[in-house]
Amino acid sequence: MTAILLDKVERKLTLNEVVEKYPDVPRLVILKTDVHLRGIHFTDAALSVVDPSIHQVRGKSLFGSRDGQIKPLPASLLLKDGTLILPDPTPLDRNPYVIDLVGGRLALIDNDELLEFVDLTEKPRYYDLVTTSGIPMKEIVTARPQRLDLIVSGYCHFGTRGNSCRFCDINSHNRQQAREGVGKSRYKPQEISETIREALKEPGRFSFIHLTGGSVLAGDEVFDRELELYIETLQAIGENFATKKFPVDVTTSALNEKQLRRLNEETGIMAYTSDLEVLNEEKFNWVCPGKADSLGYKEWRSRLIRAVDIFGRGYVGTGIVTGVELAKPFGYTSEDEALRANLEEAEYLAEHGVTTWSSPWVVRPSSDFHDQKSPSLEYCIRFARGLDQLRVKYGLIIDFNDYRRCGNHPDTDLSRVH
Amino acid sequence: MSVQLSRELISIINDHRSVKALATVDDSGVPHVVVDHSIYVAENGNIHYLEHLESSRSNHNLVGSIWFDRKVSIGVQGEGDLKFQIKAFPVKVHITGPLFQKHYVELRQRLGDVDLTGVWEFNPIEVTDESLKTLQQDEEANRPIFRHLDRFAKTQSNN
Repeated sequence: MTAILLDKVERKLTLNEVVEKYPDVPRLVILKTDVHLRGIHFTDAALSVVDPSIHQVRGKSLFGSRDGQIKPLPASLLLKDGTLILPDPTPLDRNPYVIDLVGGRLALIDNDELLEFVDLTEKPRYYDLVTTSGIPMKEIVTARPQRLDLIVSGYCHFGTRGNSCRFCDINSHNRQQAREGVGKSRYKPQEISETIREALKEPGRFSFIHLTGGSVLAGDEVFDRELELYIETLQAIGENFATKKFPVDVTTSALNEKQLRRLNEETGIMAYTSDLEVLNEEKFNWVCPGKADSLGYKEWRSRLIRAVDIFGRGYVGTGIVTGVELAKPFGYTSEDEALRANLEEAEYLAEHGVTTWSSPWVVRPSSDFHDQKSPSLEYCIRFARGLDQLRVKYGLIIDFNDYRRCGNHPDTDLSRVH
Repeated sequence: MSVQLSRELISIINDHRSVKALATVDDSGVPHVVVDHSIYVAENGNIHYLEHLESSRSNHNLVGSIWFDRKVSIGVQGEGDLKFQIKAFPVKVHITGPLFQKHYVELRQRLGDVDLTGVWEFNPIEVTDESLKTLQQDEEANRPIFRHLDRFAKTQSNN
C-alpha cells in the first residue's frame, strides 16, 4: 500500500498525458509550458544555422540560465501560432527538450520525436548601431519579436541584506554579466532615448516597451529612488513619441499611491505591474523576505489594488512564480491545496481589478532555492486555465502582457481568444 | 492531404478584381465571414490573409483554429460565374519577420494609418468549383429528380 501511494505522489503526467487530460487547453500552450519547465539544448547542427549577424541572440538579461553560462544563443524561438519560447539553455543531463536541424529547419524534439518546427527571429536594425557616446544600442535595449526590453536596475537591493527572493538569481547574474563585460547596470537617459528612436524607425517591428529591474529601496519613502529611475527612463523614452501615452509598462516594487500617481502623470505608461511572486502571506514571508520586510504581503497586495484606481481595470497585474509555493520544507504539501489557495487569492485580486499571471518556476542554479524542484506540468496548466477563467469571469483584459507583448505566460496565451 | 491549386485558380485569387471571403468558426461552431481583398496565394502555394486587428472575431477564430486543427473556408468569385471554395487549415501566423514587415509597410502606404496584427498562412486541402453551371450539371447528372416538373414538361413544339 505504501509503495503504491508513493508512486501516486511522485509520478508526474507526461506532456501527452496532460494534452489528453485537458483537451480544452491547446497542445501548443502545454508544449511551450513544458519546454519552459525543462529547458532546451541546442545541437551543434542547430547552432550551425544561427548567425548573430542576422538572427537575434541573447544579450543582457535580468536572470541567468540553467547552464549558468552567457552565450550568444537564440534569444527567442517562434512557434507557428505566433507565440514564442524563450530558450533556457539547460545541461543535457537534466533532460531538456532539444532543438535540432531537420531538413534544413529548426525543430523541437523530445525522445527523438519531432514535435514542432520553430523559427529564429531576425535581429532588429538598431542592434548594429551605437549611440553618439559609443555604446552599442543592443546593450541598452534588448528585443523580443515584438517587444523592447529595458533593465532599469540590474541589481536588487533586497540582496544587500541577504533578503533576496529565494528563487531569484538577479544579483548573481548581474555580477556574472559585469565580470564577462555584458553591458552596464545603468545607462544615461540620452543613450536610452537615442536607442528607442532608432528602434522606432523600423516599421511594424515592435508593439510594446517593457521596463523592469531589481528593487531600489532608497528614498524618503521606500522605493522613492526606484520611482525616480523609472520616471527618468520613461521620460527619455517618451521624447520619441507624439502622444503622451504609448504602449509601455513597468514592473516595479510595490509603489504607494503618491508614487503611482507620479508614475502615471509624469510618464507615458499605460499599465503597471508589481509581482507578488507567491499568493499566500505565510509563504511570501519565507520566499520573499525582503519584500516581506519592506512592506509585507498585505500592503504589497493593497498597493496593487489601489493602482487600479489610477491605471484602470485590466491595466494592473501581478506575476506569480508558479510552483514556488510548493517548495520544501514550508510550502504546500499538495498541488491540489496549493492550486485551491492560489486561485482563491487570484480571484480576490481579480474582483478588485488586478489580473494575475503565471511564470512557471524554473529553478535557478545560483538562487537560494537551487536544490528545489520545478512544479509539474499538470499543475502549471491547471493554474493557467484557472487564471484565464478568472479573467473571463471578471472581464479583465491582459493586452499589455499577452503572447506578443510578453509571450512568457501560458495563461496569457490562453487569453488570446477572448 | 494538401492540394495544389491550379494556375487558373491562383490567377483568379491573386486578381485584385476578384471577390474573396474568409469563413472561420469559433469553439462553439458559430461561423464568421469576412470579405477581404488581402487574400492571395504565395509562392509556396499556401494562401495568405492579412489580419489587421488583434481583437477581431476572425483573428480569435483563427487562433482557435490553429490550436485545435479547425478548418477555414475561403470563397472566391472571379469574372462572370467563376466561383470556388477552398477548405484549408491555418498552418502559421507571421507576427514578425520580413514577410510581416513587408506587408505592414505596403498596407500603410496603401490605406493610411492602419495596423497589421498578422499574416495568416493557410494550407489548402480541398477545392470545389462552386460555379452555378458546374454545380447544376453535376446535380442533374447525379440527382436527376431534383428539378421542377415544368422543366421536364413538353413544350408547344414537342406536341
